[in-house]
Amino acid sequence: MMTGMQRLTAAINGTLADRIPVFCNLLDQGARELGLPLEEYYRSGELVAEAQLRMRAKYGYDCLWSLFYVGKEAELLGCSRMIYAKDGPPNVGEMIIKKYDDIARLQVPDDIASHPAFAEELKCLRILKAEAGGRYPICAYLTASMTMPSLLMGMEKWLQMLMMGPHDLRDELLAKCSDFFRKQIAAYRAAGADVLVYSNPFGSTDVIPRRFFDELSLPWMERDLGPGGTAGVVYYCGSARFNKVIDAVIRRLGIGVYYLSPMDDIAEGKRLVAGRGLTCGVINDIMLLHWSATEIRAEVKRMIAAGKPGGKFLFGTLVMPYNIPEENIRTMLEAAYEFGRFETP
Amino acid sequence: MLEQVMNQYNEAVMDTDRDQALLVVRDALALGVTPEEVVFNIVVPAIELMMKAISEEQGVTLAQHFMAAQIASEVVDDMVPRFRKAPESVGTVIIGTSQGDFHGLGKRIVSGCLKAMMVEVTDLGLNVAPERFVDEALAHDAQVIAISSMMVHTAQGENGCRRVRQILKERGLERRIRIAVGGAPYRFDPELYRNVGADAWAENGITAGRVITGLIREVRP
Ligand code: B12
Repeated sequence: MMTGMQRLTAAINGTLADRIPVFCNLLDQGARELGLPLEEYYRSGELVAEAQLRMRAKYGYDCLWSLFYVGKEAELLGCSRMIYAKDGPPNVGEMIIKKYDDIARLQVPDDIASHPAFAEELKCLRILKAEAGGRYPICAYLTASMTMPSLLMGMEKWLQMLMMGPHDLRDELLAKCSDFFRKQIAAYRAAGADVLVYSNPFGSTDVIPRRFFDELSLPWMERDLGPGGTAGVVYYCGSARFNKVIDAVIRRLGIGVYYLSPMDDIAEGKRLVAGRGLTCGVINDIMLLHWSATEIRAEVKRMIAAGKPGGKFLFGTLVMPYNIPEENIRTMLEAAYEFGRFETP
Repeated sequence: MLEQVMNQYNEAVMDTDRDQALLVVRDALALGVTPEEVVFNIVVPAIELMMKAISEEQGVTLAQHFMAAQIASEVVDDMVPRFRKAPESVGTVIIGTSQGDFHGLGKRIVSGCLKAMMVEVTDLGLNVAPERFVDEALAHDAQVIAISSMMVHTAQGENGCRRVRQILKERGLERRIRIAVGGAPYRFDPELYRNVGADAWAENGITAGRVITGLIREVRP
């Protein structure tokens, strides 16, 4: 049997494998796996690593996550309050930019790897690397400069600043977020992450008009990724659609992996990537909360039929909601393994 | 002439150019267009045009929704005090995010559109308890409670819309007050609004205006 890493490599290179790679993004479910409340679970890198390894072994999918929750990035920049729910992801509970002056005060840590807020993630990464490195791709999640301010000042104030200015402050904030991004991606690479999910809803034309994408998003993405390059980087717009910009992203940034929105047309996405990278078809996992087994199988089948022909295709989920029944997770995965199989010649 | 001004205004809004949109309004006033005409013949039709663009899938972006709502509510706030007589309110809506949810952008866009349509909006802010939605709806004699949620667990959790529905039932208020919901999870699962006991949902802020005024009409003779 092949490992997840072999399947992923084969999909990227367009070589033979037993089946397409299948990524299943279970985060909060780790707490349930260990029988712990979310807040306790997320305090420890050891616990997160243990749950990630257990869930992967139990379900048989092809990835491991070092991401705890997205709000962690705000913690690295000084946020000290997270809001926990009992059945959903923690959220940033304090905006560290409350007024314009706070932008000048925002400090990008010199060394991410030695920052206390990164310590548990680093522990998690070390364990994942030791236990499964080279066999299962270890994924890290990074917020693009253009999206990061939404975690620091809220989406509402950020969109207002982005659209209405003041532009000098906007650019000052973006530059800091981009510096932060560069350090963060270097830290993840150094700690052994293989797959770097580059999350940028502002890289989607569902969120901003095309003119903004060309004039602002593209240049800032270039700045984010410039020094470190695009090896292992995955283009992802937080589940917003981006088929319309795939060609521009490939030409300008050269990113090699495209994690579509469930609302994007998979066959069209693949046509647009046009053999220049790996296309990932992503299921609308919110529907797994109540779809029947028949509905789940039909959807997985439809998606894989649209993306598998010719290879260079991966099946994936978004951030799976906590309350999806285990049975539905299995049904989805088994269907993906079955329909994703390649016939041996 | 009004139609030409409306087109110019609409173009500026779709272009997310607030300064230009406000300039169009200022020039129109200087040419003798009345504040009433600005609202009812320029701002409101521009919103309706946007609804049409959305239903024809011309791809209206979040930024455009945001700016349309922003500009419309600014213009309306500026014009209404200059009306010859106070405009008749279409109805009253209580809006907030569900308990545990701290995402306010959707709510702000929806409120902006509602205000432009002469709906009175009371904004309860973020993380609103279900009892509070109902109490405030009664206090303001509102026809609709509008609840915004960005995550699955705050949309379908026990302290969100479900509980609001239960309270309305317990207090015998279901004929008087309707519930509208919206936010990301509802867009990913268009049937979710039924599961949580809402009367309606809307995919974006602009259509929310139409859906909510529809609900107001249901309960307001
Ligand atoms: C931008 C975004 C982010 C950004 C910014 C987040 C922030 N702080 O605001 C980033 C990348 C940082 C992010 C992070 C996370 N996100 Co996010 N994010 C999005 C995205 C792409 C858009 C959300 C948004 O702001 N939209 C703008 C608002 C205005 O749109 P809206 O809420 O839909 O509102 C419109 C309509 O719905 C309607 N409407 C809204 N309210 C109302 C109310 C009424 C009454 C009516 C009628 C209509 C209406 O009108 C509005 C205007 O047009 C969505 C996916 C998507 N495509 O929608 C995911 C999404 C919301 N995120 C999601 C999640 C899970 C998260 C995280 C919790 C992940 C994690 N595990 O950490 C974090 C939380 C971060 C935090 N706050 O601590 C999930 C939520 C679903 C779920 N599984 O519960 C989504 C749906 C993605 C997905 N499918 O997995 N996210």
